[in-house]
Amino acid sequence: MSSGFGRYVHAVVERAGAEAREDGSATTEAQHLLLAIAAEHESTTDRILGSVGLDHRAIREALDQEFERSLSAAGVSLAAFGFSRATAGPDRPRLGTSAKLALERGFSSVARRSDLRPPHVLLGIVRAQVGTVPRALELAGVDRADLEGRVLETLKDDRQ
Amino acid sequence: MSGTETTREADLPDLLAAVGALRRLADQIEDAAVERAIRSNWSWSQVAEALGVTRQAVHKKHAKRLFAAGVVLRRR
Repeated sequence: MSSGFGRYVHAVVERAGAEAREDGSATTEAQHLLLAIAAEHESTTDRILGSVGLDHRAIREALDQEFERSLSAAGVSLAAFGFSRATAGPDRPRLGTSAKLALERGFSSVARRSDLRPPHVLLGIVRAQVGTVPRALELAGVDRADLEGRVLETLKDDRQ
Repeated sequence: MSGTETTREADLPDLLAAVGALRRLADQIEDAAVERAIRSNWSWSQVAEALGVTRQAVHKKHAKRLFAAGVVLRRR
């Protein structure tokens, strides 16, 4: 793993933790990593996300929609709850299962750790076929397989 | 929600996602409700009993956050 990549992953995980805290989530999940990638504005990942119309705000909106849609499947209306949000805690939420899986998927997509680049983190996230992120992408009108293809293309171009 | 007999196969992803969303909503409501109760001078024991958990459990889960938030904490 190159030190530049290591620093990038560290920054993304730190930022994802902050996103999870703002979300009132006890754990940092794959969707928080995705928000963190958008917030970090690293040039290659920014270009990929921008090419499908995604930025931090669009991802946040899609995730909110996904939450409401998932609750409504159980007959629960988020709007029906008039509770004010709790104050966030001081600790960074620990990495949850979906975030660990996304990072593992990204890291294991290369033969040599030294080949890892920022888009590999994004790749690990968009390779999940079920869960919150693919559902949110669908609601945002983003074709997940197409996005995965764009990440792979960028990585291929980067090697040439 | 409709009964099993009327639940279509296509609803399965939504149903599975609903489980996670309901847990998340329950956590959010718990965080907000406990904070409001402690701010309203409920004791940890009262909050715990209302939630159906031990006082130690509710204190462990929420005390640090509420202390950091500047909520005056009662003695355990």
